[in-house]
Amino acid sequence: MREDLATAITEAWNAIGRAGTWLTGAERVQVAAETRAAPDCRLCAARAAAVSPYGIDGAHDRATDLPEAWIEAIHRIRTDSGRLTARWLDRVRRGGFDETHYVELVSITVIVTGIDTFRRTAGLAPLPLPEVVPGRPTMALPRGAAPSAAWVCHLAPRDVGPDDPPLYADRAGAHIHRALSLVPRSMMHFWDLFERMYLPQAAMREFDREFRAIDHAQIEMLAARVAALNHCTY
Amino acid sequence: MPVELVGLMAAGGETGVRCAAPLLELAEAGIGRDAARIGAAQSAVRQALSEAALIDAAAVIGGFDAITRVADATGTPLEPEKAARSVDMRATLGIDAFDAERARLG
Repeated sequence: MREDLATAITEAWNAIGRAGTWLTGAERVQVAAETRAAPDCRLCAARAAAVSPYGIDGAHDRATDLPEAWIEAIHRIRTDSGRLTARWLDRVRRGGFDETHYVELVSITVIVTGIDTFRRTAGLAPLPLPEVVPGRPTMALPRGAAPSAAWVCHLAPRDVGPDDPPLYADRAGAHIHRALSLVPRSMMHFWDLFERMYLPQAAMREFDREFRAIDHAQIEMLAARVAALNHCTY
Repeated sequence: MPVELVGLMAAGGETGVRCAAPLLELAEAGIGRDAARIGAAQSAVRQALSEAALIDAAAVIGGFDAITRVADATGTPLEPEKAARSVDMRATLGIDAFDAERARLG
């Protein structure tokens, strides 16, 4: 495996066990455990097979004692993300968690999903859950965060202040870059990994040179197919 | 190099990309969880390309299995200029059907 990829995965995985901005290390590892449990959840399987997932009630097969709203969010993001709606998110948030916590939860759920999918696809065993590191969340809310065209607030590039980390260094600030920016450390946690799995922004359109053992066309073909399989329209 | 867009959307489609068939099968297998299918797909990619290609392809598959969920879990919309530029491509690929389904679900 490329050294930069191995390092990025190790760093991203271990960071799950450390306190984040809003969640403790223990909570973050529980989110990781629940992400892994979701594909075996009978309620999620029934919903995924239904014309509409919103007509089927029931209890999730849970692996942790996280709050019910968190379980619903993690399981749906893991098993049926292409059919999430703004109304679903409103309902989940009314069930009891802040937008900041939700964004951090999304970041962990997708990082675990991405690393697990990578290892399964490459023929590697899943990593053991990260070690929990004692510590307290920083609770650092970016002052410039504001409502956006998405379902969650963003910290737009123009609103980044001196107290915020350099979340847009080498990143143009496209909508997808901003998606997790309400929690800058979570955004950087995800993108620092993603750019090693895919390509850094500067390499995406440098067609005279190949950066991976597969070429640009092969990379984009795979990206498009996975997006289609997940019913993603971005 | 011309790429057949429609071939990206369905199993067995023609894409015009080198070694597309084993790579696309790896993507389908990896997103699913059938161990035997994944093993066969890995062997095919190793044979057609290399072990390093298998790792890098798996990394792209894992990365996009993650980032698609970032977009969908946060309701991240496509930038208006990108949406305008991609009208024809999105129609060809049938991507708009995914948005229509979300709208139907509310």
